[in-house]
Amino acid sequence: MAKGTSSAPLTPAVLHILLALATQDRHGYGIMKQVEADSREKVSMGPGTLYGSIRRMIDAGLIRESDKAIDPAMDDERRVYYAITGIGREALAAELQRYREVVAVAKRERLSARGLAHGA
Amino acid sequence: MARDGSLRGLRSAYALLLKLYPRSYRERFGEPMLQTFHDLLRERAAEGRNLFRFTFWMFAETLAATLRENGIMITLHRKPLVRIVLVTVLILIVPLVANQTVEGFDWGLFDFVVIGAVLFGTGLAYHLVASRLNAITYRVAVGLALAAAFVLFWMNAAAGIIGGPNEDLANLLYVGGVLAVGFIGALLARLRPRGMAWALFAMALTQALVAGVALAAGWGAGEPVWPWGFAILTGIFVTIWVGSALLFLRASRDQPMSGELA
Repeated sequence: MAKGTSSAPLTPAVLHILLALATQDRHGYGIMKQVEADSREKVSMGPGTLYGSIRRMIDAGLIRESDKAIDPAMDDERRVYYAITGIGREALAAELQRYREVVAVAKRERLSARGLAHGA
Repeated sequence: MARDGSLRGLRSAYALLLKLYPRSYRERFGEPMLQTFHDLLRERAAEGRNLFRFTFWMFAETLAATLRENGIMITLHRKPLVRIVLVTVLILIVPLVANQTVEGFDWGLFDFVVIGAVLFGTGLAYHLVASRLNAITYRVAVGLALAAAFVLFWMNAAAGIIGGPNEDLANLLYVGGVLAVGFIGALLARLRPRGMAWALFAMALTQALVAGVALAAGWGAGEPVWPWGFAILTGIFVTIWVGSALLFLRASRDQPMSGELA
């Protein structure tokens, strides 16, 4: 994933991290909790996967490190926060548009999750 | 209280696991990862859930990630290695061609292996040392010193520089002594530019002293190039060592964190 390829498809982990950061800056634990909530606990990342993705996303310019800050909802330890960048927002918007188009195709073909599960 | 102790113990164990990451990665993400792990642990502990299974999964997941990151690091560093191998092979083509075309030039397999290994080692040393500081003067200084060291070694390996009855001792001091001073100096300097400058000055001084002793004792008398050829050769190497030392000094001044490696 290189800079300037914001329209390339995103991996599930990257998509979920961008979604988690779309509304506010978060620290690692905050990202994990938000991803779990957004995916209704279907997606669960360990620190290894999370920070590996964060490194690649920073290198690709999708997110950036913010200053360290204290999370008032937790303890008085200072944490590194991560923020989505303009490129990250573009990549997220492009990915969501792809999903909308896929859903539109499915609707047009009258495909439903329940129907597919039952072989209809 | 016992729970707090076990949380601290698990945090310490996780910190040890993080040491398996490449250093650059660990320095950047080690602390946030440790915090995140601790946050997750506390959450599970507060919910009264079994920590053993959770910790096992965390450690396995992070271990897999360390392998992945180390793999990426090795892949990133493989290109310079390929380049060094290619340059080594290209240089060895010269004696290979000379073997076929130049009368009296007769390298055996052993010669190719030794010179190939030294060439590769020199290239690898340049890559490892020069990549530690992103300053052109530092890199030129390293390249100059290593190239001169290689030429000195090659000249001595090919025919010996000082002839005569004491040639083994003389060449050992003239080549081995000088290179040993440089190697030990570089270790003591921990490759920092200012320390490297002093190591190179020490090499120049050692070579001049050994040459002076050799000239005074007439170790190489009887050789066709004695004494002027030997004196000029010594002058060239001393100039190179001093030139490299001056470049290291300049590199130490140019760096905002004087003498500190990246």
